[in-house]
Amino acid sequence: MQPRDFLKEVTAIPGLSGNERKVAEYIRDKWEPLTDEVSITPTNSVIARKKGKGPSVLFAAHLDEIGLMVSRIEDDGSLRMVGVGGVDPRILPSMRVSVLAKSGRLTGVIGAKAPHLLTEDERNKNYTMGELHIDLGMDASKVKELVQVGDEVQLEYRFTELLNNRVAVKTCDDRACVAILYRAMQLLQDMRHDADIYFVATCQEEVGAFGAWQTSYQLFPDYAVALDVCHAATPDADPTRTHDLTAVVASAGPYLNPVLRRKLMEVAEEQNIKVQTSVVPRYTATDADEIAISRSGIPTILIELPLKYMHTSVELIDTHVIDEAARLLACFAQKINASWEDELWT
Amino acid sequence: MDLKTLCEINAPAGNEGEIRKAIVERAKEFCDDVKIDRMGNVICHKKGTNPDAPHVAIAAHMDEVGFIIRGYTEDGMLRFSSIGGIDPRVIVSKWVLVNGETKGVIGAKAIHLQSKADREKLLDYDSLYIDIGAKDKAEAEKLAPLASYVSFISSYEEIGDGFILAKALDDRVGCYNMLRLLEGSYPCDVSFAFTVQEEVGLRGSMGAAFGIDADIAIILEGTACNDLGDVKERFHVCTPGEGVAVSFMDLSTIADKELFHAMLSIASENNIKAQVKRSVTGGNDAAAFQRAKEGCRTVVLSVPCRYIHSPSSMCKKSDVDAQYELSSAFLKQYK
Repeated sequence: MQPRDFLKEVTAIPGLSGNERKVAEYIRDKWEPLTDEVSITPTNSVIARKKGKGPSVLFAAHLDEIGLMVSRIEDDGSLRMVGVGGVDPRILPSMRVSVLAKSGRLTGVIGAKAPHLLTEDERNKNYTMGELHIDLGMDASKVKELVQVGDEVQLEYRFTELLNNRVAVKTCDDRACVAILYRAMQLLQDMRHDADIYFVATCQEEVGAFGAWQTSYQLFPDYAVALDVCHAATPDADPTRTHDLTAVVASAGPYLNPVLRRKLMEVAEEQNIKVQTSVVPRYTATDADEIAISRSGIPTILIELPLKYMHTSVELIDTHVIDEAARLLACFAQKINASWEDELWT
Repeated sequence: MDLKTLCEINAPAGNEGEIRKAIVERAKEFCDDVKIDRMGNVICHKKGTNPDAPHVAIAAHMDEVGFIIRGYTEDGMLRFSSIGGIDPRVIVSKWVLVNGETKGVIGAKAIHLQSKADREKLLDYDSLYIDIGAKDKAEAEKLAPLASYVSFISSYEEIGDGFILAKALDDRVGCYNMLRLLEGSYPCDVSFAFTVQEEVGLRGSMGAAFGIDADIAIILEGTACNDLGDVKERFHVCTPGEGVAVSFMDLSTIADKELFHAMLSIASENNIKAQVKRSVTGGNDAAAFQRAKEGCRTVVLSVPCRYIHSPSSMCKKSDVDAQYELSSAFLKQYK
């Protein structure tokens, strides 16, 4: 399966932070033929192992997604909502959402008070989450029968192919990086490696990197690479906080291991892979932060995939970068050997 | 022709070619007299059997709201304006089709990069842009030349308790019901006007009304509901499921009193669900018909639609049928 097709399927499957079972099962099934063993943890991270004599390395990308949760059912049958992860209320008006009710998926539309009913002051502002409602097109009695407060709500899914190998779809953050892991597995089928590789799709990153916390404790690898998305340049964003959409990013800063990063950059140069540097003075706000301080510490680096419009329903990436990042990761895995231990702090 | 097909055709005001073609083709199956006038309206005429009956015009607009390309950024984003009234708040993080073929998205600065002011400030047409994935300005200009028309990417779905979810329900519901009415025959002379450019100022219907010169005009529309969430009950416009909405007045016309009451009595005599539109917001083609030549008596029958002028408007199937039944019963009354 092409990574692009994997991305098309995996972004459709529900997996809001805290309830990622369905997407975990999908990922497990796709990873199984490419690895030696695969399992789902009690909190719905997926761990796949591709055996080697060692050292061990953990590659992590998170599988959970941001979305909404039903917080209240009004007497008129409309639903009120809260965000799961950082949802920008500006993206919501007129969005078609799926309420993931026990009885099944219910399509609804997010509505708000019409502009002509707003005061002059309100008309010049964005709606807040509390001013929005979900309309299921049902009477209140039926809504109350089918929907439960606490039901998850998935954002609108439309896999949209644009020019120049670019696609826009919800949840590229971070399933495009899960696709990178998938592609790296494919490449490693024909490559020899010493590394004992753990591919991990982590749960609950969007609410605190809890899956990374748990799985890095469980596996306690010698090295780790976290993969997540970063901001690509757009006309309205600060250029010092964004990167070119069309090339992989390797971050650098105190939370990340400089020796491993140097080794990654050497691989990139050998393989002629263009890599940009992102300078992160403190938190990376990714799984890398938690993995690096697991147990007695794990030397960790961070590879990032530039993405426009993060945390919207139109997260836009260049699919060519998925292939390049996968090649970088696979070649990096191939290089890992026992001698690296001696170089770590020399 | 089903409502799904009609809603999924893209025809922002001024660019009605595709919907006109579909409607003309269908209309010709049921009517010998189908014409396209100088404005681009489709006018179908059916001769009545009763020479004493009035000449009735029935009208619905074919056009919908949309966007038009008006410039580019250096890095290949498209600058655009709305055609018709689209609240920019409903288009952030949505999908569009440029020139009927090039897909694009309307993104916005990520929440992580927003200042407090960014979070509050409304994103308007001066700050939003369409991203088609172009590498640079030259590529953008080539694929989306100036004045390219843009539509919502939006599919037709049926959801909940008999609701339809689609773009352009305003006013494809009216077009759909007029095509159904065309299949019938009536005692009175009936002129069917499928009009253009309603969303940019009722411009098509002026020519249509002038050309038809009817005694009575019935306008079939889709209108707002504002019946859910934070809206106080006294501001509710109409209620989906309560039948076709009959207007006594809106921002463009006052309904002819006799026709208004006639519609309500015919509905009740024929067991057709009808409600009175409880607000005077909005305007429609009735204004053009009312003021054409010596003037004509008008009345508006609307399907209650939630979230009109967005990619996701909703209406109830039973209300669409009620609009058809009431207009049909009205036309058949002149025995």
